[in-house]
Amino acid sequence: MPGGMELKNDVFVSSVCALCGACLDWCPYIANIEDHLVMRFDCYVADGRCYSVCPRTFTDWQAISDRYLPDTPKNIEIGPYYKVYKVKASQGINGQQDGGTVSNLVKTVMEDELAETVLLTGTDDHITPEPFLVENPGDIEKAAGSRFLASPGLRKIIEAQEKKVQKLAVVGRPCQIQALRKLGYNQSNEKPPMEVISIGLFCMWSLGWDFKEYLAKEFPGEKVLRMGIPQHGFVVTTDKGEHNLPLDEVKRYIKPGCSYCLDMTSELADISVGAFEAEEGWNTVIVRSQKGQELFSKAVDKGYLICEDYPEDELNRLKGASIGKKNRNLENIQAAFDKGVKPFIDLNSEMYVKVKKMAEGMVK
Amino acid sequence: MEWMITADEPGKTYLMQGNEAVARGALEAGIRFAAAYPGSPSSEILTMLGHVADKMEMYAEWSTNETCALEACLGASFARVRSLCVMKQNGLLVVGDALHSASLSGVKGGLVMIVADDPSAHSSTNEFDSRHQAKSAALPMLEPANIQEAKDMVKWGYELSEQLQQLVMVRTVTRINHGRSTVTLGQMLAEKPNPVTIGEWDRMVAINWFKDAQIAKLDQAQEIFEESPFNWYKGPEAPEIIIITCGTGWLYSSEAVEALGLNEKVGILKIGTTYPLPEKFIVKHLLNTNKVLVVEEVDPFLEQNIAGIIAYHPELNIELLGRCGQKTLPRNGELNPDIVRNILASLTGKVFTGPEVAVIPPEEATPLPARELTFCAGCPHRASFFLLKQTLRIHEGQGVVMGDIGCYTMGGQRAGHYLYNFLCCMGGGINAAEGMGQLTRFGFKQPVLALAGDSTFFHSCIPGLVNAKYHDSNMLFVVLDNSATAMTGFQPHPGIGLTAMGKAAEPISIQKVAEAIGCQVTVADPFDISGTTEIVYKLLKQPGLKVLILKQECATLAVRKRKKPRVWVDQDLCRGDECGCGRFCSRIWGCPGNIWDYEAGRAKIDEVVCVGCGVCASLCPAGAIKIEGGGADE
Amino acid sequence: MSKELVKDPLNIIICGVGGQGNILATELLASALVEKGYFTTVGETYGASQRGGSVMSHVRISAAAEYGVLIPLGQADIIVSFEPTDTLRVARDYANKTTLIITDSRPNYPLGVLIGEAVYPPMEAIEAELKKLSGEVKVIEATKLAVEAGNSQATNILLMGALTALPQVPLTADDYDRVMEQRFNSNALELNRKVFKIGYEHINK
Repeated sequence: MPGGMELKNDVFVSSVCALCGACLDWCPYIANIEDHLVMRFDCYVADGRCYSVCPRTFTDWQAISDRYLPDTPKNIEIGPYYKVYKVKASQGINGQQDGGTVSNLVKTVMEDELAETVLLTGTDDHITPEPFLVENPGDIEKAAGSRFLASPGLRKIIEAQEKKVQKLAVVGRPCQIQALRKLGYNQSNEKPPMEVISIGLFCMWSLGWDFKEYLAKEFPGEKVLRMGIPQHGFVVTTDKGEHNLPLDEVKRYIKPGCSYCLDMTSELADISVGAFEAEEGWNTVIVRSQKGQELFSKAVDKGYLICEDYPEDELNRLKGASIGKKNRNLENIQAAFDKGVKPFIDLNSEMYVKVKKMAEGMVK
Repeated sequence: MEWMITADEPGKTYLMQGNEAVARGALEAGIRFAAAYPGSPSSEILTMLGHVADKMEMYAEWSTNETCALEACLGASFARVRSLCVMKQNGLLVVGDALHSASLSGVKGGLVMIVADDPSAHSSTNEFDSRHQAKSAALPMLEPANIQEAKDMVKWGYELSEQLQQLVMVRTVTRINHGRSTVTLGQMLAEKPNPVTIGEWDRMVAINWFKDAQIAKLDQAQEIFEESPFNWYKGPEAPEIIIITCGTGWLYSSEAVEALGLNEKVGILKIGTTYPLPEKFIVKHLLNTNKVLVVEEVDPFLEQNIAGIIAYHPELNIELLGRCGQKTLPRNGELNPDIVRNILASLTGKVFTGPEVAVIPPEEATPLPARELTFCAGCPHRASFFLLKQTLRIHEGQGVVMGDIGCYTMGGQRAGHYLYNFLCCMGGGINAAEGMGQLTRFGFKQPVLALAGDSTFFHSCIPGLVNAKYHDSNMLFVVLDNSATAMTGFQPHPGIGLTAMGKAAEPISIQKVAEAIGCQVTVADPFDISGTTEIVYKLLKQPGLKVLILKQECATLAVRKRKKPRVWVDQDLCRGDECGCGRFCSRIWGCPGNIWDYEAGRAKIDEVVCVGCGVCASLCPAGAIKIEGGGADE
Repeated sequence: MSKELVKDPLNIIICGVGGQGNILATELLASALVEKGYFTTVGETYGASQRGGSVMSHVRISAAAEYGVLIPLGQADIIVSFEPTDTLRVARDYANKTTLIITDSRPNYPLGVLIGEAVYPPMEAIEAELKKLSGEVKVIEATKLAVEAGNSQATNILLMGALTALPQVPLTADDYDRVMEQRFNSNALELNRKVFKIGYEHINK
């Protein structure tokens, strides 16, 4: 397994990095300066943890999926799942996004001791993501709301391991759930592995941190309170009011590494949560594993979450969107490999060939 | 030893360093004024004069740069006071304009300039032969061949200077400045010249009107030199070869002649008055031979002047050998007794029968690790270079960094992660950065940085800073302020608050100077690696001129003030060679206090060398480096 | 009691790493020799040596004439060194079959070794090669002895004690002591006298 120098050349220099944070904070060679990862000095360790956990180094995602979700019915569009639900919180949580589902799931995790520590991302200035470990339910609120700028959340895994956390819950983007699974897959058997329950988020893209400067220039002197993408474009709420930004303008700040992502719904998580596009104030929940099912049921039984059946047409729309993202990014990936980027997936494997076919079918 | 240079013991013999001998010679001549800028190998001269200045009723100054020093001496000389100006070879080039102008105006009180060259650049970035400047500026120049002469020539230099009303240069080399040998003390001048009243029509002006006078002075010097006791011939009346030599070449040549038993065949013509040459004296001896070998340090200056003499005297029949022509001597590099002996042996066919170096075949030789230069343990430059390097790694080509002269010049090597791309002379960095920082308009995108130490700042960066601010260059000027002129031995500079004579002075704040010029100044502590990294990163995103002062005291000074804490490595926490560390403290941070224990396979602190700055502890990924105790400033 | 200069000129090299007190020790030695009336010349290479480089002093002693500051290659009669790899480095250029070498055994690791990129050779290998290059090799644990006596910084004076005890060096312990008395205050003098004696006595064991 290659090490730091390979990570630098294969991932940092070629800009495919997704800023999941998995390689950060274990060793002193890799650092982030805002959202850029830097190999500060040359590392010569032959086998690096950094390379083995990175979601942008060569991975057989099918094998990983088979290992962690062996019994779950497979699905090419949105990954293996048992069931999809339309969900919202019965009681609002301060600062929640959409239906407030994630916050309530996390609350359930802590109350029912499904994990003693949760990895969340909060923000002090309502823009810059700040990952942190939560040990008591009162702190969950700090992480409420969506983070649009990419958060290197997984850097906190090291802290959890050093604190000897036995069961950790992680709320993360698809790339972060991927890295988590790679960590488990490649982990040495010497240390007792930390048990992880993963709540994956839906993600079309994340923004680079230069978006902060853009906001500072567009709305000088205003304090950002909240950001969101309700149906009608990108909305920034500041202390002076609501501002509508054209989505195309915002998309200029998408992190380059996001163009190589093939996972819109966190297909490897125990349970995935995203927006429910058709109706404001609701979430989409995809249950993928027994752990995920257990968690979801508890949250519903406790009355924290209200759930309804998921409309068929909405499910098709969701699947279509996911295939759309996969297909677009498969093209970006091909272009990157043609330019000399070290391949991090096998484009010829069955999974991706099928995706391409489905995408073509959709267009017709 | 300072008591030696002031001792009233004419005739007594002591072991003296070359620099001590120079100081003694100047004191014996009754100087009242001395000014210099530090530069190896000459720095000790002014340091000592500064310490004894009060006792000897004179004034000694560490000037802000060499031009200030020389021109200050001119001021003192104008009032008929005897003065001494000291610099190394680079400093002589800094004063180029002043030197040539002063030569034109002449001087009144005796003014001797010591220029210390550094052959092979043992303690310099480069090697220049200062003697060319004597010719260019039409100044008489003396070259001591040993340490006694260093004293005697400086003393006599004042008589010569006043006789000619002209500056006198005395050119030394490292082997003289830092060598030690027996010196017999002379008499101290009974009455030291005091400053006179300058009359309304007294003048010391450098205008071309005085060119004829300048030339005449040189001719006069030449006549005086024809009779000088500093030039002599030793050897047979009809030698096969005459070695013409000056400076350290003399002792190497005499040892070579003796070692080869050539006293009957080879004569040595030793020249102490290297410019202008005593032509008649030389021709007289050259008539007795057909072969001349010139032995001198650095450039073939003497050699080419001898060639000139030979060309103007058709009655001579000389095969001239040296660094030019047949290239008998190597063109580059310091001389030593072996080089001279080997050449003499091959010229005469004589074989050396003395003891030989013991050799063993290369395969049997134990491989030895080289001794590289590095920053001292606890040096703030280590931290500054570390954080600059890691910040620049994010930029294309890692930015462009202009270095400058000081301890931090070593940052261009491994000790500083090979940080800078460019090095010229003192104050060169900021100007090079200013120029490159103007290229943004042509699409140049990389960040441009310039480094300078605190003493370098005062020496020559202020005009550069004015220039960069006025022209709004896109660059970051980083002042590495460790409150010291460290590389040359901790002489005080205007930011310190102390003078050469040990008196308190009001320190000048670099920050205030920069702000007065109108710059946006940030001050940060290089020991706070993560905080300062962020500051640098943010500054580099801004356009225009930015000034960053990295302020932290030189470790060699700091360690004298505080009781140092105990620092050690927790062997259980240390990750050693493995992933997650890869020997980060010793391999990357590279402080001599961080060593690798080969047997344990763990890091260790060398407690003798460690000064307790604590930076390595802040960098250890496992938190294995522990600090305990340590006192506050005493 | 007085000792005579048998070999003329006598060439001694004192070497080590910058910061070990090399220069001071040499200056005391040379001053003591000048007091006895010898032509004594010392050539030094330092400057950037403060920052971890090697330091070498060439001492040339003669009753007859003044000699240049550099000892020719292969003509060192005695080499006294504070650091084993520097001993070997210097010996390779300046030792001949009759040279006497005195060296401390405590390593001072150069940067390359500290970072694990170069290997510091074992003392046995160094000693073996030194023996091939010279007439006699005496290894002293000077730093260790100095530390036991109370101060690791006094290693230089300890080695000067050892040097002074040699019959070929035309100095007695009293000659050196006189110079120390001129230079050091009472506390330093007492310590330095102590370590000087340790070196002086140790060398003939």
